[in-house]
Amino acid sequence: MTHIIMAGEQMEADVLVIGGGPAGLMAAIHAAESGAKVTLIDKANTVRSGSGATGNDHFRAYIPAFHGPDMEPVVKEVAKSQAGWTRPQSFVRTWMKTSFDIVKMWDDWGIPMKHEGRWEFSGHTFPGKPFTTLKYSGQSQKPILTKEAKKRGVKIVNRVTAFDLITDHGISGAIGVHGREDKIITFSAKAVVLCTGGCVRLYPGPTPGWMFNRADSPHTTGDGRAMAYRAGADLLNMEIPMRWAGPKYFAKCGKATWVGVLRDPRDKPVGPFVTKPDRIYGDPISDSYKGLFEDYMKTGKGPVYMDCRGISNEDYDYMMHYMKHEGLHGILHHFDEEGIDLRENPIEFMTYEMTTRGGIHYNEKGETSMPGLYAAGDEYFGGISAAATFGWIAGGKAAGFAFGRDAPSKNAGKESSEALKNLVREMRNRKDGPSWQEINVALNQVMSDYIGPTRSDTLVEAGTAHLLRIKEKARKDLVAKNQHELIHCLEVLNLLDVAEVIFAAIKERKETREKYIRVDHPYKNPAFDEKVLVCRKGPEGPLTEWKAIND
Amino acid sequence: MPPIIDEDKCTLCGNCVDICTEDVFFGSKKKQLPRVTYPHECVYCNACVEECPAEGAVRLRLPLPMMLMYKPAPTA
Repeated sequence: MTHIIMAGEQMEADVLVIGGGPAGLMAAIHAAESGAKVTLIDKANTVRSGSGATGNDHFRAYIPAFHGPDMEPVVKEVAKSQAGWTRPQSFVRTWMKTSFDIVKMWDDWGIPMKHEGRWEFSGHTFPGKPFTTLKYSGQSQKPILTKEAKKRGVKIVNRVTAFDLITDHGISGAIGVHGREDKIITFSAKAVVLCTGGCVRLYPGPTPGWMFNRADSPHTTGDGRAMAYRAGADLLNMEIPMRWAGPKYFAKCGKATWVGVLRDPRDKPVGPFVTKPDRIYGDPISDSYKGLFEDYMKTGKGPVYMDCRGISNEDYDYMMHYMKHEGLHGILHHFDEEGIDLRENPIEFMTYEMTTRGGIHYNEKGETSMPGLYAAGDEYFGGISAAATFGWIAGGKAAGFAFGRDAPSKNAGKESSEALKNLVREMRNRKDGPSWQEINVALNQVMSDYIGPTRSDTLVEAGTAHLLRIKEKARKDLVAKNQHELIHCLEVLNLLDVAEVIFAAIKERKETREKYIRVDHPYKNPAFDEKVLVCRKGPEGPLTEWKAIND
Repeated sequence: MPPIIDEDKCTLCGNCVDICTEDVFFGSKKKQLPRVTYPHECVYCNACVEECPAEGAVRLRLPLPMMLMYKPAPTA
């Protein structure tokens, strides 16, 4: 076997953006508009990467012409929503205040933010409550944002995965690994914005053994969270679970795009909000009760169907239009092939696997706990609009920070680059040992069995011990037969770090609150009201600390 | 296994290889027919189909475990 040598390369920028989804592209655009020299790196290709790759169709926003001059009812509603309830109200207020500017920008750039010439709000809304999700046609959002970034001189480096931040004398860039060549790239920068998206492959997906059948992009593996954690930044609310729901077994987000009634097998609506298909509301029951599909199956009352029968022709056309823009092309194609007609065939829905709702602690300026390190988007769950808005904000702030400091020294990153070179060289040259799939499946297993829906002190203890054994073996024994496998190896190392933090956070939160359940502490502990749980790296694993929510 | 490339229709432009998020075409060579190296990593996002300039040159076949569950329409 040929001995693999890792080549080295150096690149410099004022602002380095890691991840080219809506958050990263907006950060890069704003930083470049502010006059900074910007490099953006993406694990895949910004034209079609990540969870917004082939589109989105709803965008949380406050539109004065639609909502009227008072923004507060919208702020309150978003603060209660899945995207806002763990955030301080000041954060949500900044988000909504800025959202209209972002909407206008996107519309100018050619992403249609209006429906038939008007602002249209639908989905994720309960009858009688303020509307917060703007309907838009986002099928081409990624190619358009990529074009806008390039227009402003952003240097886009595709197929490079960042693995570690450079922390010599403050944040000074990041080290990346190429996905198609044996090459390590040292990116020197005065400020870094993390925008790597969610944390998808922690738990087993809907189909046993089918690792990539996921509601969100399985390529988003908590890389930003893991990098930030290893660099010493604070992570927040990592123990709070998040679950999506959607069609079974073809996992895809986009529940709110369906115009139907959720019904049991005898056609009885399972929720009280709608009784016939209604494009304005969809069926919001699954917004307040995501576990409903799983619960109906467990108790034998299921399955539950998304039933679009009785939909008007106009609403049917509307739904099909927005399904394309939500990026559900694969599903639409499957309808055609199987002869499925939503006007006649109710589609079974399911509750998908868990992930974490929490992530990197970033405030309304996009600042993390470390000077020079910014984060946006699903580095802490928020969805497309939070990604675009806080990406924009973080990019501007990162540029401002970069102007106020000198370029990192020439030697910055030398040590971390050598360490990473050694790690990947070993993985690439090892002859036998576990593949990334083995480690990922072992991780999924321990997550699901020990900190899945049932969580307790004894389970956390047993699971942590096993996880740490897997982690040790991964670092020591992983084998990467080519660059593609190498990137997956780095992903599982990131997932393992994120998992260790989640275990530590669950151990610390001894209570039951909202969707967070500890079977051995089945009560809400008022001592934790208005508090958030912070995790950061300590000398021997994660440290935890309770902080007031507005800090 | 997905995606499936039609040799007769493919123009060898390499768009699908360039944009695939999961890089299922890893190892494909420029100006040659794309190679589906990692079919199990396809996420059926359809990006390769959308970015393909030659209609019908690439299509996706959904694996059986991912088939949707649905109620049949009542027979007339």
